[in-house]
Amino acid sequence: MNTLVQLVLSGILVGSVYALMSIGLTLIFGVLRIVNFAHGEFLMIAMYGAWAFTHLFGLNPYIAAVAIVPAMFLFGAVVYWLIINPALDKPHLVVVFATMALSIFLQNVALMAMTADLRDIPPIFNHSLVVGSIHIKVELLLGFVITLLCTFALQWMIRKTYLGKAIRATVQDGEAAMLMGIPVPRIFLITFAGGSALVGLAACVMVPLFSVFPSVGLNFVLIAFVIVVLGGMGSIEGALFGGICVGVVQSLSSYYVAPAFGQMFFFILFLLVMIFRPNGLLGQQGAATIGMNE
Amino acid sequence: MSALLEVRHISRAFRTTLAVDDVSFEVQPGELLGLIGPNGAGKSTLFNLIAGVIAPSSGQIIFDGKPIQGWKSHDIARVGVARTFQIPKPYRQLSVIENVMLSAFLREKSVAGARKLAETTLADVGLAGYGGSPASSLTVGLLKRLEVARALAMRPKLVLFDEIMAGLTPTEVGAMTKFVAGLPARGITVIWVEHVLYAIMKTATRMIVVNRGKKIAEGTPAELARHPEVVKAYLGEEMDLA
Amino acid sequence: MSTETIPSLNPARMAVFPTRGRISWFEIGLLLICLALVMSGIASNLQDVLLLSFLFGGLALAWNIAGGYAGLISFGHSAFFGVGAYTSTILAVRYGVTPWIGIWIGALIAAVFGAILALICARLRGPFFILSTLAFAEVVRIGALNWSSLTGGAEGLSIMPAPDLLGMVFASKTTYAALMLFYLVAVYAITKGLEASRFGYYLFAIRDNEDAAGAAGVDPLLGRTAALALSAALTGIGGSLFAQYFLYLDPTYVISPELSFQFALLPAVGGLGTAIGPVLGSFLITPLSELLRSYLGSSAAGLHLVIYSFGLIVVMLYFPAGLAGALEKLTRRGRSP
Repeated sequence: MNTLVQLVLSGILVGSVYALMSIGLTLIFGVLRIVNFAHGEFLMIAMYGAWAFTHLFGLNPYIAAVAIVPAMFLFGAVVYWLIINPALDKPHLVVVFATMALSIFLQNVALMAMTADLRDIPPIFNHSLVVGSIHIKVELLLGFVITLLCTFALQWMIRKTYLGKAIRATVQDGEAAMLMGIPVPRIFLITFAGGSALVGLAACVMVPLFSVFPSVGLNFVLIAFVIVVLGGMGSIEGALFGGICVGVVQSLSSYYVAPAFGQMFFFILFLLVMIFRPNGLLGQQGAATIGMNE
Repeated sequence: MSALLEVRHISRAFRTTLAVDDVSFEVQPGELLGLIGPNGAGKSTLFNLIAGVIAPSSGQIIFDGKPIQGWKSHDIARVGVARTFQIPKPYRQLSVIENVMLSAFLREKSVAGARKLAETTLADVGLAGYGGSPASSLTVGLLKRLEVARALAMRPKLVLFDEIMAGLTPTEVGAMTKFVAGLPARGITVIWVEHVLYAIMKTATRMIVVNRGKKIAEGTPAELARHPEVVKAYLGEEMDLA
Repeated sequence: MSTETIPSLNPARMAVFPTRGRISWFEIGLLLICLALVMSGIASNLQDVLLLSFLFGGLALAWNIAGGYAGLISFGHSAFFGVGAYTSTILAVRYGVTPWIGIWIGALIAAVFGAILALICARLRGPFFILSTLAFAEVVRIGALNWSSLTGGAEGLSIMPAPDLLGMVFASKTTYAALMLFYLVAVYAITKGLEASRFGYYLFAIRDNEDAAGAAGVDPLLGRTAALALSAALTGIGGSLFAQYFLYLDPTYVISPELSFQFALLPAVGGLGTAIGPVLGSFLITPLSELLRSYLGSSAAGLHLVIYSFGLIVVMLYFPAGLAGALEKLTRRGRSP
């Protein structure tokens, strides 16, 4: 019984961290109606960045976030300017291939620069929090807290600020938003760059928990897609909900299911979600319609 | 003579909104039935229900003696129901004639046969010279005609026209009206949703008016022009629509 | 069968440059050049490049049936490649079945996998379809890796390098080159036939506007399933041929995302949705790839992929119609109206 509670709890905590890395993706979907296939590689690059900060300057990744988040914002803006924006007015498969190619590009640049070796940072906190017989890694709890804070901050921004309203308008109807004087191209840029910055924050929170290697992005991008589909496109609360679901399922299955098949199990889970709930558990428009330009 | 199409107590709900609310009507072979109503009345939903794009929440649709509610759109197309789309949906990477050939393949299995049928149909709707042009190069008016051509190339028993007049010049409207009016004589029954009222009032043998998902009136165009509910639905006040 | 379903071979109706549904002088010329290259006595390492260009040309064409014609962009086709390769190899190595038969069994099983993928992804469009193909391939790869009793797992599976006609192992690279060219020509012929046929048109319709296709009586699920099954079968055959040439299989290379990317890259660069496009793409990229690999060797793991992916980004953004599109533009300018 205690094992179960432990598993569910760590599942919720890890899930929230997964949610953090998925929020950027869901926002980009909702606003630009495109998929960034290099999303996982953005995370990977940011994780290497956070690792490098820790390794070179002895800072912990939470402090490194101060540099990584703006750096990722800039990175996202550059990618948007060079690749996404030119692809937007072309047939949909252009952005698919371009971001897919970007994913391979980043993976192999990382491979050349960092080799395939796994990179970890030394543990930051030397003991876990202990409540009864439940152990909670402090890094995990910190990740959970940061995610919640971030989600609240984003929700506030979306509901209370002009930028937030502009984003919501663009999600609902890009053309109408443009006719209303909303600078949609700039909203696109801000959303893309902002989504990348969020990935940067997620990376800083994840580096104490996961190893980095060039193809680590593939695993996480699939998790992110499952989360986005479960929670519904463009929904921040949905991402949190989806993240927690995924975290709990993964936590339970990696304990009760054979480890050799653990990774495959996750891909199978992804396919099952795609077969049975392409519209998400919350019933919003999802896999069936996104990506259609007409 | 039994009806070609019977719509019995069809309803369709989207979450909490009832887009179509207990609508029933019949269409006899050879009729030209007009379907009108203000925006948001549920006309498109009704079309999509008959054409199999969505399934009804309740009720039945009987076509040619067969219950087709819940059938997929391609199965309904195969038993003889053709439809146009309000916003044209051409195959952009194919030429105009190839667009029509796709529909012609329902009746002609060979490429040569389909091409012939497509050529005839294009000439029929006045698109004869455009066969080789890419579909993406056509203007909205011509695309609407392409929609009509695609529907007719299926040699349907029943055709559903969804606002084929929108975006046409007055001359084009006149030509298209005459064309549609001639279809029943060729053995094609028509259900026509249209906003360009005078076209439909002139040609329809019978009309149905829907508002807010419900059928509010049924009758000849002359009867409906004076029907107070209809006038109110469109204009909110007493006025002569004829 | 109407003569229209076979590309016209009447010289009076032949086009100069590749046109949908008709044979052109360009294609005939290219074929003759390929034949000449096979029969000429070029250096051994160049022969490798040649036969790989042919093989990947065929693989690119196979991918294109699903990706370019039906609009089903898959980044998981290496699964089918692997299924074909492993099936014929396991049958040969464990049960003594000659690959000349084993290849067809491999194609059949690959087709079944293709159909399964289509059914799994029946309701998926756009990026979710693509991601599902990735996930699917990963499931197949990890399965192959772990099911060692069947596939040999990470240690891989080897074919005896002894030349043997029945075992489809040849001493001469020329023979392999001829075999691969035959594969390329066969898949090309199937592709050309497809694009002039009713089924081909159905695929274009599903690709360009699925709603309209449904309204015209086309069953999208059936079309998608058939396209993926055919594409998978042809890819599987390529996989078996590869196994017979390379004589060693291991899941990490044979069912990899990198290989899947390659299958999509070649048609994309060459021109999606055309028959000549994937061929041109392979003839450009495969030699480039081998060149990069030989010059850079193992010192820069991934450098060739860095260069490709960069090139693909550029091509996608500035030449979305690929090489075939550029060719078409050139010919349109040269032809009188």
